[in-house]
Amino acid sequence: MLVHIENLVKRYGDLLALDHLSLDIEEGEIFGLLGPNGSGKTTAINCLLALLKYDKGTITIFGKDMKPDSYDIKQDIGVVMQNVAVFEQMSVYENIDYFCGLYIRDKQKRRELVEEAIAFTGLSDFRKMRPKKLSGGLLRRLNIACGIVHKPRLIIMDEPTVAVDPQSRNKILEGILELNRQGSTIIYTSHYMEEVEQICTRIAIIDHGRVLASGTTEELKKMIKTGETITIEAVALTKNNLADIRSLSHVFDLSYQDQTMILRCSGAKHNLIRVLNYLQEQDIPFGRVFSELPTLNDVFLEITGKELRD
Amino acid sequence: MLHLLKYQFLQTIRSRSIMFWALAFPLILGALFYVSFGNTGLAGTGETDWEPVPVAIVTVDSSSANAASFLTFLNETDQDMIDIHSYKTEKAAKKALRREEISGIYYVKSVSSLTIASNGINQSILSSLLDSYEKNADMIRDIATQHPEKLSDALASLNDYQTLVKEKSLGGHSLDPTLTYFLALIAFACLSGVYLSIHSTVQLQANLSALGERRSITPTHKLSLILGDLLVLESIHFVNILILELYLTQVLHISLGHDIPKLLLITFMGTLIGICLGILIGCAGKLSYSVKSGIGVLVTLLPSFLAGLMFGGMKNVIEQHCPVINRINPASVLSDAFYCLSVYDDAVRYRRCILILVIMCLLCISFSFLMIRRERYDSI
Repeated sequence: MLVHIENLVKRYGDLLALDHLSLDIEEGEIFGLLGPNGSGKTTAINCLLALLKYDKGTITIFGKDMKPDSYDIKQDIGVVMQNVAVFEQMSVYENIDYFCGLYIRDKQKRRELVEEAIAFTGLSDFRKMRPKKLSGGLLRRLNIACGIVHKPRLIIMDEPTVAVDPQSRNKILEGILELNRQGSTIIYTSHYMEEVEQICTRIAIIDHGRVLASGTTEELKKMIKTGETITIEAVALTKNNLADIRSLSHVFDLSYQDQTMILRCSGAKHNLIRVLNYLQEQDIPFGRVFSELPTLNDVFLEITGKELRD
Repeated sequence: MLHLLKYQFLQTIRSRSIMFWALAFPLILGALFYVSFGNTGLAGTGETDWEPVPVAIVTVDSSSANAASFLTFLNETDQDMIDIHSYKTEKAAKKALRREEISGIYYVKSVSSLTIASNGINQSILSSLLDSYEKNADMIRDIATQHPEKLSDALASLNDYQTLVKEKSLGGHSLDPTLTYFLALIAFACLSGVYLSIHSTVQLQANLSALGERRSITPTHKLSLILGDLLVLESIHFVNILILELYLTQVLHISLGHDIPKLLLITFMGTLIGICLGILIGCAGKLSYSVKSGIGVLVTLLPSFLAGLMFGGMKNVIEQHCPVINRINPASVLSDAFYCLSVYDDAVRYRRCILILVIMCLLCISFSFLMIRRERYDSI
């Protein structure tokens, strides 16, 4: 077990930010912490890094207790903060070199690592530029380069793609997958479910400081009732038609509004065929038809009763 | 460690706004002082030594005993104090007075008098001289009338009085009243080091800045980061103040004395107290950087005001009514120490100033360390 968090409790006055949070992260994983803003993701990360005091619980990283003076553990951790944390007065190269120097003393090795990080994040053409001259996406990439330059065993990324354009976001996500391929374990927090679904091997959904569910994407989707969502444009459906459709096997929820019917079915084969057969039998005309498998948003919606992004 | 020093140095000297307040602003203020004071002080003329007061003597009536006695008194007065100018007529003397070639005219008669054209130190000296003569003459006259047998004792005691007054050379130092402004300016510049260290300290604390957060989770010990910052900031600020002192002495011709080692020592302590105060402010509480900068402005301007930066006599007013403020006000302590070097060579007072500054620095660093060593925060 690379990271073990057990029964972590953190209060800010009367607010319970972490409510007996427990997590286990294996080596080689890209572990996603998914939750809405204010769900406790960043607080969990700050406790994990021994920046924040917590009221209760234990945290071990690499099998050792994590404390503020656990310098041997910190040596193998890289962090990409939610807020860009670089020196405005220093160039791209100097910033990366500075942060690398806080981990690596050997000058030659440091030089090699800095060059690798610059190439990895695609900042070669901007190495002499100051941060304020960089675009938002490039700035995020610099932020990442500063966090991963020393090639840590464990990389913690706290919403690294916030306010980043789609092109830069894709590059960042590709970079994260590459880091994982190179051997780093990654903890990735986000409230963008598409990103988490795209790159994470295992996910924990947290809200109100609690882990509501965890597992692989498929495991999470299997946890919920919704197996398929069918959307059909139909002009004239009577109450009787709707009652008949609702009574079809595996259909557990139906709504009909603005001539669009949305059906939620439990996981089973031929749901769509059964509905379309019924419409043909009743000679009911219909337009476009969509069938969607559940997303993480459906998982989140069903578990918490609210959308992931409020 | 060299790595930390290099980047802290680059980072600091490239911070334009911070370097402006720590280096450029005191230089500009010095130039403004110089222009504002013009030639009213000796600083403006480049003269730093005491000169005898030029005065003319007009003998109206030399027949009386008092007139003859006063004339003798003036002629015997130390030539280092007054410089007697001769004019053929009273009209010529008055013309010289109007042209400010002389500071006053003594009229020698049965009751001697002084005529001056303006007020100033020279005029005060001439007036004091006349008052002193008249008081002594009255006293001798009274004794001669009432106790003639004690006249010789009285004259002897007057002689004794004169021997008790020991002349002290200023060694070529300045008596310029505007000098206090420039000394307060150096003190102000020293305290301006708070801007450097507040900025740096905020960047060390995880609960105040993202950079602090990032630096707190590295394996580099926080004490190494603090010491590295302190070393670089002190060096930069020390050079800043040396530049200011060179500018004041070489360009504006303000004398800061000739004891270079002592000047360097007080400059070092001055810059150190500025940096240490900034570290203390930077470490204190979870206030934002802008609020802490505001406190920094207060911590530089208020003590400098009390030390005479805006009103030269302020320090003396405080010394009369609440001297303890002058002992604990770093700007006053600094300007005192610089005064000891540039005007009156008082080793005891200088050492006391150094000691006070050392204690202040130690207190600031100790409190700062106590606050910052708590590496885990309640909230971020």
